[in-house]
Amino acid sequence: MKLRRLIGFNLLTAVILGVVGFYVGWWLGHLFDAASIDYFEDTGQNDIALFIAYFTGVVGFLVGLGFANYPVQRMLGKPSSLREKETRGAGRYFGLCTDHKVVGIQYLIGIGAFIFIGGLNAMLIRFELLTPTQHGWNANNYLTLVGLHGTMMMGMMTSGIIGPFANYLLPVMIGARRMAFPRIEALTFWLLMAAGVVLMTTIAFGGFPTGWTGYAPLNDQANMGMDAYIAFFALVGLSMSLLGLNMIATVITMRAPGLSWGRLPIFVWGVVSTSVLMLLAAPVLISVLLMVMLDRTAQTGFFNQAAGGSPYLYENLFWVFGHPEVYVLALPGMGILLEILPVFSRKPLWGYKLAVTGMLGIALLSFLVWQHHLFVSGINADLRPFYMLSTELISLPTGFIFVAALGTLWAGRIRLTVPMLFSLAWLFNFLVGGLSGVFLSDVPSDVTTHGSFFSMAHFHYTIMGGLLFAFFAGIYFWVPKMTGFQLNERWGKVHFWIMFVSFNSTFGPLLVIGFLGMPRRAVTYAGYLQGANTWVSVSAFVLGASMLIFLANFVYSLVFARVPAGSNPWASKSIEWQLPSPIPVHNFDRIPTFGDDPYPYGTDAGVAHRPAVAPARPTA
Amino acid sequence: MTELAQHSTDYSVVEAEPPEIMGRNLRVGAHLWASATVFFFFAFLFAYFYLRSVNQQGLWHPHGVKAPVALGTLIAASVAASALLTLFAARRLRAGDQGAWRAAGLGAFALGLLAVCLQVVQWWTIGFGPTDGGYASVFWGWTALFLLFLVCTLYWLETLLATSFRYRGQGASGHAPGEASGDPDRTGDDIARPISLIGPGVDAFAFYWSVLAGIGVVTWFILYIL
Repeated sequence: MKLRRLIGFNLLTAVILGVVGFYVGWWLGHLFDAASIDYFEDTGQNDIALFIAYFTGVVGFLVGLGFANYPVQRMLGKPSSLREKETRGAGRYFGLCTDHKVVGIQYLIGIGAFIFIGGLNAMLIRFELLTPTQHGWNANNYLTLVGLHGTMMMGMMTSGIIGPFANYLLPVMIGARRMAFPRIEALTFWLLMAAGVVLMTTIAFGGFPTGWTGYAPLNDQANMGMDAYIAFFALVGLSMSLLGLNMIATVITMRAPGLSWGRLPIFVWGVVSTSVLMLLAAPVLISVLLMVMLDRTAQTGFFNQAAGGSPYLYENLFWVFGHPEVYVLALPGMGILLEILPVFSRKPLWGYKLAVTGMLGIALLSFLVWQHHLFVSGINADLRPFYMLSTELISLPTGFIFVAALGTLWAGRIRLTVPMLFSLAWLFNFLVGGLSGVFLSDVPSDVTTHGSFFSMAHFHYTIMGGLLFAFFAGIYFWVPKMTGFQLNERWGKVHFWIMFVSFNSTFGPLLVIGFLGMPRRAVTYAGYLQGANTWVSVSAFVLGASMLIFLANFVYSLVFARVPAGSNPWASKSIEWQLPSPIPVHNFDRIPTFGDDPYPYGTDAGVAHRPAVAPARPTA
Repeated sequence: MTELAQHSTDYSVVEAEPPEIMGRNLRVGAHLWASATVFFFFAFLFAYFYLRSVNQQGLWHPHGVKAPVALGTLIAASVAASALLTLFAARRLRAGDQGAWRAAGLGAFALGLLAVCLQVVQWWTIGFGPTDGGYASVFWGWTALFLLFLVCTLYWLETLLATSFRYRGQGASGHAPGEASGDPDRTGDDIARPISLIGPGVDAFAFYWSVLAGIGVVTWFILYIL
């Protein structure tokens, strides 16, 4: 039996088939006669072979996990079954599993690992910037580090909250036993893991110089390391689209009786609004990356000025995806924030409809602002006012979120637990990020700060200050539910305070450094900025060290201390906390029915949901 | 706290859910995927008008770059006819006419395949390559990816037809436990009526295929007529 498991469809088989697939593709790609294609002769590189190798490698990886079984069965006319789901054992975490809770935990660990790698890249960047001249890496390697850090973080963190928390919790929160498409759910995770590995192979092919935005014409001129970027983001885009589709479909079709749209937990609304963006924006990213791939392989001229193309086309299409992407990162954090605040304020969520309006408003407006990234790219001056105003307009629905949060905190019985501390820090960080964003949305100030460390610091305040703090709030809040064990509160607070202080000590000064004129993505800088940069680097190292404290706490609490969390350690009234910890594999014995208010804190009402009288198991 | 769930309950309750839920999921999923597909091709539409408007160095549409309209029209017509046939098939199936659905489904599949073959023939005989300016880039990129979508969607139709043929003439039961999933270890009935999944599947497919055909017609108008 053990041998059968070892050679069956699992992670080990997947890695072997992935590697074999990569080399088969590489070999196939080189079957193209180099002499017959001018491009090979011109550059001495074979992008076609590498793209084929990535494709066959990823396909091999997925086949090894067992993803081909279902489509082949369907081709033979056999209908679907969820047999891939295992009920017991650690093996289910290392392969294709259709249990949404397993997928959620897979996401948590998998994405956590890649965030750690992305964070290490940031440390290396800050190491280089300790001095104004080059001392660690040459310019090319530095740019690759910057690109790897940005791309890894932006790609992986698109699913940073949705992946672990929405996959694990959303079906439970809506009273369902599974997602609408469980195999697609599993596929999104494994696509993301394959993408992460693909991106890291860029080092073997010379890296890429474009940063996370991959601008033309540099993306066409770059060496083969650029192909890894393209393949990575295309896979991430596919994963995002499918994830978004699955989330929306699940909320539409799988809600339990009585759970109307007006009764959805606010976190679910955050997931829905994010998923709309993922579903619609990510396909544009895939399209534009395929165009870049065609430019690099088939020699089309989408972005090549000499061949009838335009680099501005890339900028436009990239940001059609790119700006919604920013809100893909921010919106789930808002959902977590508003989910946690009522629990630790012991008050109902204030302004539920306002908050929902805010989330949907942000999602809608995020499609109408992309050209503010092109203010200094020579766009038609007449277009600037519209995009300036539409960008500033987005502060309105964002303000709704803040009002709802502050209204919930107002006169509440606040408990400063670790999740609550991270949530409050979110409010502070995102406020700084939002206010600094006003300078970037205004054309007159944007032309002086664009491309500087100011915009980089703004971005980190909104994304890292928003998303990563919400990510940790979610971890401290829900991991007891996911694992059945409590995370150590004292070490959690140590982690929080060091992270919060060092985060602000890192990115606060960078706002100033940017105003003083330091451009981003430059390996050298003016000597008078060394003092500030050294301060920032040391703060960044402390910030990095705070992650080690978290990691130590995480391992200590879950592996060694193993203090049982109980089913409801936070005295929450949400439905997931009325279930045992960890949640049983089938979620509910009986599908529950929902009452009216999802946040009945401070009232005599108990929880707003009850088990239904329907039998647990439909009769065959 | 455990009134909602217990660890001891068997998880097979998850699998033994009514097929209506799967059908509903399929229909909603098809609508959502159609919207994603529209956004995917929106990028090519944008590229077309953008590059056409800037006409970089006069290389938008160099002399001699002309897509064959007749073949392009045939491709679009095949896809559109296939979609119409699928809509008809879905309607017949809803009326309970399994035979008509299978015949129309096969016809739709053949027409889809015809469109794929015609596209390949067009590439083979076309007088310009992807390097011949902005229009040529958009043309090759757009048609190549549209072809990819056609092939993948035809696979979906094939799975529906295959299930329909495999279980034709079968009622509410009649197959052994585990047969549907191909899992001999199963003791329970995984899919009570495999054929019951065909209806929602065909509905979902017909909708998505129609949207794709719509994109095909837009593609034809933009690339061949405009």
